[in-house]
Amino acid sequence: MTGNSQIAASAPSANPFMPEQMRIVRRSDLTSDVRFFQVRPVDMERALSLDYKPGQFMMVSLAGVGESPFSISSTPSRPGMLEFCIRKVGRLTGELFKYKENSIIGVRGPYGNGFPLEKMIGHDILIVVGGLGVAPLRSLLLYILDNRDKFGKFYVLLGARTPAEMLFRKEFFEIKERDDLECLLTVDNDPTSQWPFNKGVVTDLFPKIKELDPDNTFATICGPPVMYKFVVAEFLKLGIPKHQILMTLERRMHCGIGKCGHCAIGSIYTCLDGPVFSYWDVLHMKDLI
Amino acid sequence: MAEIPKPKVGFYGFTGCGGDLLTILHCEDELLDIFNAVDIRSFLMASSDVHDDEELDIAFVEGSITTDHQLESLKGIRKRSKVLVAIGSCACFGGPQAARLGYGDWEERFKKVYGEVKHTVARPRESYPLDEYVKVDCCIPGCPIDKHQFFFALTRLAKGMPVELTTFPVCAECKWNENECLLLKGELCLGPVTAGGCNSRCPNHGLPCIGCWGPTKEANVASEISLLKERNFSSEEIINKLRLFGGAAMVRRFADLLGIKTEEPAGKPRQKKARKPVAAGKAKKKTASKSPKAKSGRKR
Amino acid sequence: MKALKLKKEDLYAYLESLKSYGELWGPVKRGERYAYARLVNVREVALQALRTILPPKKFFVPPRFNMFRYSEDRYTEAFEDVKPRVLFGLHPCDIHGLMILDELFLERFPDPYYKKRREATAIIGLSCIPDDKCMARSTNTHAVEGGFDLAFNELGEEYLVWVGSSLGDDLVRLNLDLFNEEIDAQDLQKYLEWRRKRDSRYKLNFDLTGMPDIMELSWDSDLWQELADKCLACGACSMVCPTCNCYNIRDVSDLSLESGVRERHWDSCMNKEYALVAGGHNFREARAERLKLYYTHKLKAFITEYGKPSCVGCGRCIDTCPVNINVAEVIRALKGQEVKV
Repeated sequence: MTGNSQIAASAPSANPFMPEQMRIVRRSDLTSDVRFFQVRPVDMERALSLDYKPGQFMMVSLAGVGESPFSISSTPSRPGMLEFCIRKVGRLTGELFKYKENSIIGVRGPYGNGFPLEKMIGHDILIVVGGLGVAPLRSLLLYILDNRDKFGKFYVLLGARTPAEMLFRKEFFEIKERDDLECLLTVDNDPTSQWPFNKGVVTDLFPKIKELDPDNTFATICGPPVMYKFVVAEFLKLGIPKHQILMTLERRMHCGIGKCGHCAIGSIYTCLDGPVFSYWDVLHMKDLI
Repeated sequence: MAEIPKPKVGFYGFTGCGGDLLTILHCEDELLDIFNAVDIRSFLMASSDVHDDEELDIAFVEGSITTDHQLESLKGIRKRSKVLVAIGSCACFGGPQAARLGYGDWEERFKKVYGEVKHTVARPRESYPLDEYVKVDCCIPGCPIDKHQFFFALTRLAKGMPVELTTFPVCAECKWNENECLLLKGELCLGPVTAGGCNSRCPNHGLPCIGCWGPTKEANVASEISLLKERNFSSEEIINKLRLFGGAAMVRRFADLLGIKTEEPAGKPRQKKARKPVAAGKAKKKTASKSPKAKSGRKR
Repeated sequence: MKALKLKKEDLYAYLESLKSYGELWGPVKRGERYAYARLVNVREVALQALRTILPPKKFFVPPRFNMFRYSEDRYTEAFEDVKPRVLFGLHPCDIHGLMILDELFLERFPDPYYKKRREATAIIGLSCIPDDKCMARSTNTHAVEGGFDLAFNELGEEYLVWVGSSLGDDLVRLNLDLFNEEIDAQDLQKYLEWRRKRDSRYKLNFDLTGMPDIMELSWDSDLWQELADKCLACGACSMVCPTCNCYNIRDVSDLSLESGVRERHWDSCMNKEYALVAGGHNFREARAERLKLYYTHKLKAFITEYGKPSCVGCGRCIDTCPVNINVAEVIRALKGQEVKV
């Protein structure tokens, strides 16, 4: 081997596989196995110029461990920082949880299509989230809140198994107080018996949705696989067009840029053409879910 | 990154040729690095300075278990090791000495070979891989192991990470090396059902794969057998080849294809796992007082 | 495109002169088969070779190579020193295979590892007469109009040499004296005759129109399970396919534990863990699903996306699969014909 042309540094490289050095500036536990990471490019100027769309993802690289895709949980409307919400499930996340504040990790991206904001602007929005599904949808949620006047009516339905497992619980309690959106929370079980809001599955919340113009609504869902069937049925009952029902999908990825092949579904790559798909995509592309 | 203290490591050998430990000792270019990376507390083949009462982070164990004495030692190693790694075909699958596993009663087979003998040094028993008796955290197969796969596993383990060895059969690497396909040339090659990681060591020299890395997770042994039969190999030849190095891994997973009866003895309560034909047959013998424990939830 | 002629007897002399451009590689005998190898002695070239065990993709995405070296948290690009080289003897199907890889690796997010090797390599095509495993006529990849620097077409005692790029022109000029620039009507006749001969030799002829529709309608067919029962999941079909491009990455630590490499190696959708994600969910656990993905990619998805199948009809899968699962058998089965599988 010869030739050491480039060293991972503050600026993005011409080599799309080259991880960019970023610093973990804050980490905190959201639940026993889900951790929140705030990450920033080492170079502040670069940090401020970072641009992405809600629904996009980044490849996180740990030297000696590997690389995995993670949804971005922060919003581009609050520049300077990338946020991730990560569950400890495998080798890479297992190692990532050992990384302390101030340590350096490799990050590259953003990748994927993200939510079609340009189409969604001016519409009513209904966001339905379960469990870790909050990772990508928090980005959209915060984006809409930061650009509230560009969107119509706004509903957020959030479900978790228990109050303790509700990610960003405090944040959602605050959002719930706002009067420019309707944020409804529910838990399947409440061992503490202290939960002040709805108990039951997230679909129980649908009757509380009033005055939504279905043709003019974009509905998004992200959560555990079992949720999709029931929630999509509710969307359809409301009369929301199939191409305006959006979901983000997970697949194995080694590159994020349509090279490694693993996320192929029919003629598309989840990393390039997704991870955000419409329900219509799901219906006409076999194999999607 | 988190600072990791040098892991304490031990190397042990039971019944086998010692080839795996020797493979490690033969890594002359890397030996110093190995000694730098880990704190070796016991490696009898390399040094008489052994500390065999210490707690270990990682124990590497070669060889299969064939005596009561070995079984006790193995249990001792397990007890004082955080991670136990089986190295080589014997430790992982039982070795060629386990090639007749499940073919009738072991004592009868033993007597047929040795006659009536008095056991003076150690009490022999049927050859089994380590995981028959203790929890094995990681298997590095091969006869002998491949040094690069060993290094890979060692570095992963030293950092406390899981070890994912190649999931491909030998055929994949054999293609990478652009060898002529020996199966297509009419040889009895086990490449398609055998785990890769050896860099297709044998086919590179024109020799068919003998299966020493053990069956892949998805080994389609039924298809391999019918393919070989089409090539005019006899069932006996095929099964012998599969069993030579496949040992317990083959027997546990493909007993029906190997012609091993899987019925449990009448009136005996069912063991936890259906894979126990071998153990079940043996458990009724008084020599097997330390009957291998039936484990549930095995992941293979 | 310019055409010249070269006397067959001058081929070796010309191959020798190509070495002044770079390393010369071509097909050589490997047992009863062929493989691309460095032509130190140009007379070792196997002009009769129809298909090499591995396609030329091995030159541009080697089965295993390092993408980065890392040290603590810093990554350094690990580019192999790619010297200029000439690949001689690529048949039209393999050139088409390369053009498909070009679309994957050079269009959106160009892959620098592929690009660097591709740019350092001159491609010289060579015409061929098909055998019973070739099906390039069905995939319309039996002839090339681009994708090469030079292309040699056998024409009796001579080669008709197409110059496909300015680099090709440079290569001709390495030994211009050997070439004849006079092309006459007789040459055209010979060329047309040769084409008729080639086209008449295809034993495997399939009509692939509407293949995506047929695949779509076969989605729930029993065929996939029948194939899966037989499939050894060895991945050899992917390894030898000129257009299979899947790979995995793996970080391999040095024994120092502080540095190491990020390695990239070929993968196959036949691998059980192909679609396994952290947490244990496997999107394509069943072998039948993975086989379907393989053939969806070859016969459906690529047609939908690029208007052509991603099978180039080279016949390597036919030549390789020990249990006779290959693109020809699958096409036959999909079209309702009796198959051996």
